Amino acid sequence: MSEHHLDLVRQLLDRQVVDKNHVYCGKVDDIVIDLKGGPKVKAILIGNGAASDRLPEFARWLSRTLFGRGITKIPWSDVLVVSDVIKLASDAKEHGLDERRGWAYDIVSKLPGAWKK
Amino acid sequence: MKSFLEIFLGILTAMGGFVEIGELVFSVNAGVKFRYSLLWVEVLGTIGIIVFSEMSGRISAVTQQPVFSYIRTRAGYGAGLMTLLAANSVSLLTCTAEIGGLALLLKLAFGGNYFLLAALVLIGLLAAVWFLSFQAIERIFGLLGLFLLIFVIAALNLGPSWGEAASGLIPSLPKVETTSDYWLYGYFVVALMSSIMLPYEVYFYASGAIEDGWNATMINANRMIILVGFPLGSLLSVALMFVGASYFQPQMIEPQLPGTAALAAAAVFGKWGLIYAIAGMFFAFGGAAIENALTGAYNLSQFLGWNWGKYRTPKDAPRFHVTWMLMFVVAALIVMTGVDPVEVVEYSIIFAVVILPLTYLPILLAAADEDYMGTFKNGWLAKTLGWLYFAIICIAALAAIPLLIITHGGKG
Repeated sequence: MSEHHLDLVRQLLDRQVVDKNHVYCGKVDDIVIDLKGGPKVKAILIGNGAASDRLPEFARWLSRTLFGRGITKIPWSDVLVVSDVIKLASDAKEHGLDERRGWAYDIVSKLPGAWKK
Repeated sequence: MKSFLEIFLGILTAMGGFVEIGELVFSVNAGVKFRYSLLWVEVLGTIGIIVFSEMSGRISAVTQQPVFSYIRTRAGYGAGLMTLLAANSVSLLTCTAEIGGLALLLKLAFGGNYFLLAALVLIGLLAAVWFLSFQAIERIFGLLGLFLLIFVIAALNLGPSWGEAASGLIPSLPKVETTSDYWLYGYFVVALMSSIMLPYEVYFYASGAIEDGWNATMINANRMIILVGFPLGSLLSVALMFVGASYFQPQMIEPQLPGTAALAAAAVFGKWGLIYAIAGMFFAFGGAAIENALTGAYNLSQFLGWNWGKYRTPKDAPRFHVTWMLMFVVAALIVMTGVDPVEVVEYSIIFAVVILPLTYLPILLAAADEDYMGTFKNGWLAKTLGWLYFAIICIAALAAIPLLIITHGGKG
């Protein structure tokens, strides 16, 4: 393992992911690394299924019961900038990561004034 | 530097938002049981909350990164998850205590069924957070909490024994009759400090700074607001202790319900004293209930990377908005099981102190981190005080549960 790879893990893992419009998409919950021909980041995984995979059994069960087990794979070619946040070149919607769907959205969108700050 | 008016309003808001139900129960009863001898804890706790709030405000202003985001990148998912669950459980418990307190206040003021009043409180809180902007919530509840100043005036009118109060500024063992009273004294030291340094306060302060769009130019205003606003706010808490010592103790009254403290204001100023006191408590508890519900939503969203904040519309941050609603609903449901709100206050305060080290360590590390803070990292004063307080809260955290058991939940 090169130092470069370790550095990437420190700079990538658990960081905030935002899409091209700066909409939050979740965290870097795991990293897919290709070991053929030297370690190379192939994709990042977003979703509690990936993050909870790193936990011991009971904690994994607890985490998945609370926050689900979804996993979304984002190819590395889609990552635009790596800094404090990880910025994608695409739109959250393309990966199904936008929050304008699901039961939370169904609840708030029915209430009066949901477009107001 | 922000305008003078904004800093002035910030100070008043910090002052009015300082007291919540925990201080109301523990400060008054500390005065009843130990007169002025726990005054030093008020000072100790106030300096502690100043130290950590200053750090958390500075972190937000410099990095624009919320606390739970930092906790997760530095501590990892597993340790972060434990911190999140602990912090949110205590916030939920505190929110429950405030809602129970609000229902009791309404019952005291207007009469009626406690469970219906709790439901009414729930609807009111949901509507307030949904319809008001973050800035409006901060100002309304912070400023109207200043009705509590009636307790300062009442305390002065009741003629505190200043000499005794002055000696209470120095930590000393009280003159008590039995050993169990020493344990009770220890319990009050821990509980009173915890009620002043509750973890949600710094989480909320840090996220609130981002809601308000702070940047590095706000660092000095942040310091001024905290350094002036919090000591002034702690005067409210001190006044409650004085009222306990000079009004309730001579009459051998141990106010169990938080609303009972209002009777002292009524004794001095009659009907209007009572109204001011109840109004002050109402906005103080209401503000704290809102801050705890929002804190739960901030923490969870920042940990999982959701869109968060009142500065985003509900349609843009639906999970965040549903989370604070759920905090209110679950807290109100707990109240409606008929659990004694005062007991919830005691447990929330004691469990809060147990997780205090977990709350303050990440803030201390983040504020001292040069990679993260650059030239705005902790100076020698913040560093020294930070670690000193970290040691103090670790001792308090270790002592909290044994003291809770030995004193049978503060009943001696």
